[in-house]
Amino acid sequence: MFGNGLIKGLRITLKRFYGPNLTEYYPEVKPNLPPRTRSSMALEPEKCISCGLCVNICPNQVINLTSEKDGNNKRVLKTYHMNIGRCLLCGLCTQSCPTGALRLSQEFENAVYHREELLWDMIARSKRSNKPSGEEG
Amino acid sequence: MDALNNVFVNIAAYIRGLFADSHSLSADLTINIIVFLMLFLIMVVAALFLSLVERKFAHWVSQRSGPNRLGPHGWFQFIADAVKMLGKEDIYPANVDLFLFKIAPMMLVGITLMAFGVIPFGKGMVAINLDLGIFYFLAVSSISTLALLMAGWASNNKFSLLGGFRAVAQMISYEIPLLFSLLGVIMITQTFNLSSIIEAQKTIPFIFLQPLAFLIYLIAGIAETNRAPFDQVQGEQEIVAGPFTEYSGLRWGLFMLAEYGNVVATSAIAVSMFLGGWYGPGFLPGWLWFILKIWLVIFIMMWVRWTFVRMRVDHLMHFAWKILLPLSLANIFLTGLGIYIYQLFIPRIGG
Amino acid sequence: MIIDGTQEYSVNMGPQHPSTHGVFRMVVHLDGEVVTNVEPKIGYLHRGLEKMAESRTYNQFVPYTDRLDYLAGPHNSLGYVQAVEKLMGIEVPERAEYLRVIFAELGRVASHLFMIASGSLDICGWTPWSYCTRDRERILDLFEMTAGNRMTLNYFRIGGVSHDVPDEFMPALKSFLDDMPEMIEEYYGIFFGNEIAQSRMKSVGILPKELAENLLITGANLRASGVQYDVRKAEPYGIYNRFNFNVPVLYGCDTYDRHFIRLLEIQESRKILQQALRDIPEGPVVAKVPKVIKPQVGKVYHRVENPKGEMGWYIVSNGTTKPARVRIRTGAFVNVQMLPAIVTGWKIQDLVTIFASMDLVLGEVDK
Repeated sequence: MFGNGLIKGLRITLKRFYGPNLTEYYPEVKPNLPPRTRSSMALEPEKCISCGLCVNICPNQVINLTSEKDGNNKRVLKTYHMNIGRCLLCGLCTQSCPTGALRLSQEFENAVYHREELLWDMIARSKRSNKPSGEEG
Repeated sequence: MDALNNVFVNIAAYIRGLFADSHSLSADLTINIIVFLMLFLIMVVAALFLSLVERKFAHWVSQRSGPNRLGPHGWFQFIADAVKMLGKEDIYPANVDLFLFKIAPMMLVGITLMAFGVIPFGKGMVAINLDLGIFYFLAVSSISTLALLMAGWASNNKFSLLGGFRAVAQMISYEIPLLFSLLGVIMITQTFNLSSIIEAQKTIPFIFLQPLAFLIYLIAGIAETNRAPFDQVQGEQEIVAGPFTEYSGLRWGLFMLAEYGNVVATSAIAVSMFLGGWYGPGFLPGWLWFILKIWLVIFIMMWVRWTFVRMRVDHLMHFAWKILLPLSLANIFLTGLGIYIYQLFIPRIGG
Repeated sequence: MIIDGTQEYSVNMGPQHPSTHGVFRMVVHLDGEVVTNVEPKIGYLHRGLEKMAESRTYNQFVPYTDRLDYLAGPHNSLGYVQAVEKLMGIEVPERAEYLRVIFAELGRVASHLFMIASGSLDICGWTPWSYCTRDRERILDLFEMTAGNRMTLNYFRIGGVSHDVPDEFMPALKSFLDDMPEMIEEYYGIFFGNEIAQSRMKSVGILPKELAENLLITGANLRASGVQYDVRKAEPYGIYNRFNFNVPVLYGCDTYDRHFIRLLEIQESRKILQQALRDIPEGPVVAKVPKVIKPQVGKVYHRVENPKGEMGWYIVSNGTTKPARVRIRTGAFVNVQMLPAIVTGWKIQDLVTIFASMDLVLGEVDK
């Protein structure tokens, strides 16, 4: 009895020692995230109708938007800020968006050096969305 | 092959030849200083490299790749570790006993280095060819308990103190089976000199004559070097890091250096006493065989370390006093019996 | 206990200590290596979730429920959404019910795997830890491909679930279930079957049956003390009464049994998952619910079997869009009180093992 389990354990570790390696070499090989992954938010300002549903549904008061009326008495988006430091990335806002202007994206390299950089100006971000995410800040 | 075998011996002889009298005081001093520096270098490089190998081993066992940034597959990581350790700020807490706190890591490294002095790396390649070599090794390595207790006491931290007490309890208990397991070999060879013990293993390594003693030595050796499953002294999960809790930077690095140096020294003694030292098939020089055998023992130690979980303090003591000690005594008895029977046929054996 | 010339001393373990699983703090009174008393100190992760619920609408609170027991997110949400559905009398579509069971049981498997992993890590078993987390990773990948996040899913909605599963989910789940016996064999070989681990855990930290019942211990800790009680059987919620599974029970009452019963429960969860996979119908995944959830005045208590213990949701509605009061009964919070009751007289090393066997998650203890 004594020693049997020890030898079995040694056998398992030796098998794994020569077995395959599961490490993901992250910065060189980017992970292939599924399309539903909630990593950051992206806005298409042209589609936005400034209805304010996302502001209301947000559990943590992350979104702050202002709009103004244009000549046809139609509301046009003026500013759209997200305080991403408070964001839970729960996805309730994107589900409530009637036009699909606000959506979740798979950019996950969101670390910044200062807290102020967590206040995302979504309109400005959408304009430079073709840039790699690392250069934003 | 003979030249390769004796390359270090020949270099030493050449340096001695530079002096008028090759055994004058100045010649001895020069050789001793060179040997000392070489040993220190061997210990530092081996310890640094071993720390990397250990991490690699741990990760391979758990199907990961380990350090993989610096150099090919991360194999230069140990250089970065050493540089980082040297560059760190020297921090010590406010209420430590500063003298003991500072001297403890140095003492531990010094003791480890002293133990290296009697290890024969090849034929004639021993720094000090003491007649009481193995006795000296055991005597010196048992002082390291004191260094750990000093570190634990001086840190003025309760976790450190617990670690220091554990070090004393554990290392003194395991000293005895360690010593007794080596006694069988000494009875056969009738000498304490490590080189002579290896010479006696020219035909057959003593692991075949003393398998039980080898097992006991390995277990007690792992316990002496404070490695899992006997790493009570560090015990990350319960007493944070034991005596090393308050250390950082270079001082902590010295502790790690001594720990891995101890691993190498313990393996080297295992190789000299049981695995036939520098003897091996003739296609490799003797000192390379010695190093390869050391790596084999280290591999076994790591394999055990990353498979088993830590034993409990009281089980550890029971294991030492109730299982290992009687077994090693039985081994001594059996060896004596074997020698007696053997001597009935051949009047004299060994050195 | 105190002998002449020696004295007891207290050590502060935590909130930053390697083996307190987060920010738990205990003041340990030691006589040498022997623990004479432990005072648990909680509250370092208190976020005021009950109060937060009062200032958010019913739908808005769902993401927060995942953050109670963050190792098994789905089951907390299950308790909350089922409580609200009970209050409003909402019928959930069949497919959504099955998806809920699948996710809740996957969460249970993930939580138990992590418990075994951290339990082995607390006695210095680094390799078992890696193997358990390696397999837990596959569950998290399943979560991610369906719900979008790995631990805080926010997958359940009042009236159903947020999305249907993607096409690749079911084959991936099936292959995971097929690999499970092999994994369990491996955990047994490297951790449970290891004699050193057994000597560390067997007959350590005995929690007798009477004491467990008196202290209101729930969950696997109770079942390891010889009480066959599981809310899934005792008061089936959702569609749990349709599944054929056993409630494992062990009578050792010690640390080893508290670890080992998790392994048995993983096997039972596998049975449930296989049946759910076999029986799941096609159809909608969310019921027709009003956009603004406004339950009538009333109150409801609903309890579920969380991996950490029994979780109860008491919701009082005053007829507005926000609950008037939410009270969360979490298993781990109640289970904390078994620590001082059983730890006296054991070594400081056993304290760590006993603490690991309780399977606390500080998100649930501190709420």
